[in-house]
Amino acid sequence: MAAADDAHLLERLLKGEQRAYKDLVNTYQSAMRAVAYAIVGQRHADEVVQDAWLSVVRNLAKFEGRSSLKTWLLTITANSAKSRYKQNRREVLLDDLPSPHGTIGDDRFSPDDGHWAVAPYAWHQDTPEALLTEDELRKCLEHTILSLSQLQSSVLVLRERQGLELEEICNLLTLSLSNVRVLLHRARLKVFATVEHFEETGEC
Amino acid sequence: MLTCKEQVARSSDYLDGQLTFRERLLVRHHLMFCPNCRRFIRQMRLMQATLKRMPQEPVEGVDALAEQLAAERRKDIM
Repeated sequence: MAAADDAHLLERLLKGEQRAYKDLVNTYQSAMRAVAYAIVGQRHADEVVQDAWLSVVRNLAKFEGRSSLKTWLLTITANSAKSRYKQNRREVLLDDLPSPHGTIGDDRFSPDDGHWAVAPYAWHQDTPEALLTEDELRKCLEHTILSLSQLQSSVLVLRERQGLELEEICNLLTLSLSNVRVLLHRARLKVFATVEHFEETGEC
Repeated sequence: MLTCKEQVARSSDYLDGQLTFRERLLVRHHLMFCPNCRRFIRQMRLMQATLKRMPQEPVEGVDALAEQLAAERRKDIM
């Protein structure tokens, strides 16, 4: 959302317009939930988002537009998640769980020369719209995203679906850039393998 | 020259603009000569665009939440 839209929405929010709050929730709740989920996990994500919303409303008058509204909301969400979460999660950081359709792993390449042993299958569709007309594929993608580890799926969602920059993701989740890069790459290869499997077999 | 395996390992960094100038040249050079890897990168981009356009789950209970938040805000103005 552009700065001008932010300013207009903010004005309506400050007046306490219910319709404006509905727009706000519809626009940003998914991104906020992804941030909360990354830090506290499935069980507490909804509570964290609820806390964050209340904190947003209480601090609304202090928002100065130095960052975008989205960045501000996500920072509040991350802080509210972190204050709830004291445990050390470093050991599970790069957890790599098996995915329903695997990944683009070492077995796809020749051990001798590093070239493709099984070349990437050519997909039938060449636009996202065409791919998404397949209801089955959409379900299949959701399923794969859910199978990813907490951090892999959050980083993927924040980057690909919410369009955040890598640096923003690092700051929100307190992760190093190299960790974010690894998490994102592993997640993408699994999603790639899912689409490839679907295009090749026509089933999930 | 990079192998296909090395190209794939760098693909996310390539797509995110995280490679150094020299590494980016190596990837581009590999892509120029390797149709399989060009297809891989093209399909990675298509996968990204697809994720971006996937419909978002509607937020549950949005009306009740909006009502609560608006009421909370009005308490502060009153």
